[in-house]
Amino acid sequence: MPIIEVNHVTKEYQLGHITSLKENVVNSYRRLVGKPIHKREDFKALDDVSFSIEQGEVVGIIGHNGAGKSTTISTFLTFNRPTSGEVLIEGLSAHEHSAIVRAKIAYLPENVALYELMTGVENLTFFCTLADINISTELARQLLTDSGLQADAHVKRVGSYSKGMRQKVGLAIATAKNAKAMLLDEPTSGLDPSAANDFAGRIRAAADLGMAVLMATHDLFNAKQVADRIGIMKQGRLVEEFDAKTVQHDELEHKYLAHARGLA
Amino acid sequence: MIGAIVHKEFFSTLRDGRLLILGCSLLVIFVGFLLSSTLQTQQLRAEKLSVGSTAKQQWDTQSVKNPHAAAHYGIYVFKPDTAVAALDPGLRPFIGQSLWLEPHKRNFERFNPSADETLAHRFGQMTTSFVLYALLPLLIVALTFNTISQERERGTLRMLHSLGLNTQALVFGKLVGLLAAFSLVLSPALLLAFLLLQESFNLSTDEGLRLGLLLLSFLLYYAIFAALAIAASAYFKTSRVTLFFLLAFWLGSVFIGPRLGAVLAQAWSPNPSAEVFWAAIKQDIDLGLNGDGNHEQRNKAFEAQLLAQYHVNSKDELPVGFVSLNRQFNDHYSSRVHALHFDRLRDNFMRQQHLTLIGSSLGPSLAMRSLSMTLAGMDLAHQRHFEDAAEEYRHYFINLTEDWDRERSHGTERNAKGESNDWRSVKDFSYSPPDSLFALQQAQLDLVVLTAWLLAALLLLSLSAKRLTP
Repeated sequence: MPIIEVNHVTKEYQLGHITSLKENVVNSYRRLVGKPIHKREDFKALDDVSFSIEQGEVVGIIGHNGAGKSTTISTFLTFNRPTSGEVLIEGLSAHEHSAIVRAKIAYLPENVALYELMTGVENLTFFCTLADINISTELARQLLTDSGLQADAHVKRVGSYSKGMRQKVGLAIATAKNAKAMLLDEPTSGLDPSAANDFAGRIRAAADLGMAVLMATHDLFNAKQVADRIGIMKQGRLVEEFDAKTVQHDELEHKYLAHARGLA
Repeated sequence: MIGAIVHKEFFSTLRDGRLLILGCSLLVIFVGFLLSSTLQTQQLRAEKLSVGSTAKQQWDTQSVKNPHAAAHYGIYVFKPDTAVAALDPGLRPFIGQSLWLEPHKRNFERFNPSADETLAHRFGQMTTSFVLYALLPLLIVALTFNTISQERERGTLRMLHSLGLNTQALVFGKLVGLLAAFSLVLSPALLLAFLLLQESFNLSTDEGLRLGLLLLSFLLYYAIFAALAIAASAYFKTSRVTLFFLLAFWLGSVFIGPRLGAVLAQAWSPNPSAEVFWAAIKQDIDLGLNGDGNHEQRNKAFEAQLLAQYHVNSKDELPVGFVSLNRQFNDHYSSRVHALHFDRLRDNFMRQQHLTLIGSSLGPSLAMRSLSMTLAGMDLAHQRHFEDAAEEYRHYFINLTEDWDRERSHGTERNAKGESNDWRSVKDFSYSPPDSLFALQQAQLDLVVLTAWLLAALLLLSLSAKRLTP
């Protein structure tokens, strides 16, 4: 059974009926002078998206801004509810069993948001406690070390951390949770090449230990380096899917740009 | 889960430099005002003691004279201030410091400190209680306005949601953690205040209880502000809008509400002018209350009754002093009329105070202010308690002098005399202020308003948690 499943998910925002006071005033004026009125268009953030990810598999989703990558990830976190279709973790609907599903998920956003006034150890312990996982300070330190955070940084306030160091705390949280699935939203954006490479290695290692990983990214190089499969999203649809091992980088880039420019 | 949030919020708030800076600034201001207020209260106590002792000595050392003439010399009595008045002087600046007790007439207190204040005081008074009920809520607003919106802006809320956060636990954990940190920062000021008051006034058990109740009330009050601030922070999308809203609420609660309440109370239940008040008393004494007859008719009836009682045909034949008896009769009637009008006026004061609470619809500050004054024993109810005791004492010593006059004269003679032994035999005015239970009974409405605000704030906090999204 796949760990991560997305089954015919459509997310539609109906904005046609929503108008602000300002829009009403402007439209009244435009009607008066005989000009066409402004109207918000309904749009589909996700349009019948389906894919699945097996245990130990990494799937990278690439696409330009607004393609639906982050919306897909948000759906697993129940930040939004699909208009139709469903997302599943180990066969459980994320919306119907949100508490159980969240316990199985580790989420790393583009910027891992931590509490600046607390140390790395304190942040890790706090987030773990909220996830109903009690860990000792020693274990917290071990997890941070395993995630690549140097020991002297463990007790420093997170306010002084670089983005890469925060990502490592995020990875430690994911490891502590013993998550079945990891959802990464632009994880290497803003990291220097060395840090991005290091992070990619750690993701791959997590997958090799059995985690299913869904990674939304702009970084084609990183996607090809880490992922087993790569999908391209465009206007809410999953338009192409490749085997990351067989697709050439040039070909991937060409396809990506073609979709981005509307040529494909 | 909530324990972890409380722990995290407590330490984060303490580590946040804002609390330390603002807390220290307020501590300095608070201690400054408290010292000044304590010295003032001590000075007032000493002055009252000194003036009271001098006045009593002058009373005791009066020469041989007619007892009624001695009574006209009058006695000054003073309302003792509780030690808690150093924290909240309440109505003291606006009510007189001493009450002059004299025959025939009941007086208001004289010498209110506000009349002696400098020009600067006309632009508003800064007191210890102002720091407690006005400035500290501002500190809470400054600390909490971004407590949730910052989590949203920085993305931690999204992280927390992804972990299956219970939003109720988050907002209530934040409330408890923040209040705990706030109390810790506040505790040196409170400890200092307690030690200072203990050292300066040797606190009685009841005063200690009043201080405890006051502290508890203020914590309740701060909890209202903190809960509302966190609810607003969760409700509004940005810290800027939250801050704007909370500042508007603080202004409404601390400044606009009390003034609005006072204006409405005066409009709906106005007080008579002093001229009208005293004229009404004079008229009721002259013309009589409900069928009692006018002054002359009442006196004629009294004289007839007296002649019949002593079986004599004229006043001159009476075995006791008629002049004193007649005066006592008139004083008794005058006291009845005075009591009627004074009670009516003071009832209106209380009605106004209750009506003023309409201003509490804009915030809890007015109710807290009123509760604080009551617990400090510096409100209308305590004032009335004192005035009633003083009025009772006035009756005692006037009646005593009339007794001497009546017993030491006959018929219409006016030659009764009293001497220093008589004057010294007049008991001192010994006033026992009511206890804290009395204060709590008087503050019922304020407590109801504060509790209602607390429940509303907690309800809003709970509702805001329900719509807390990343």
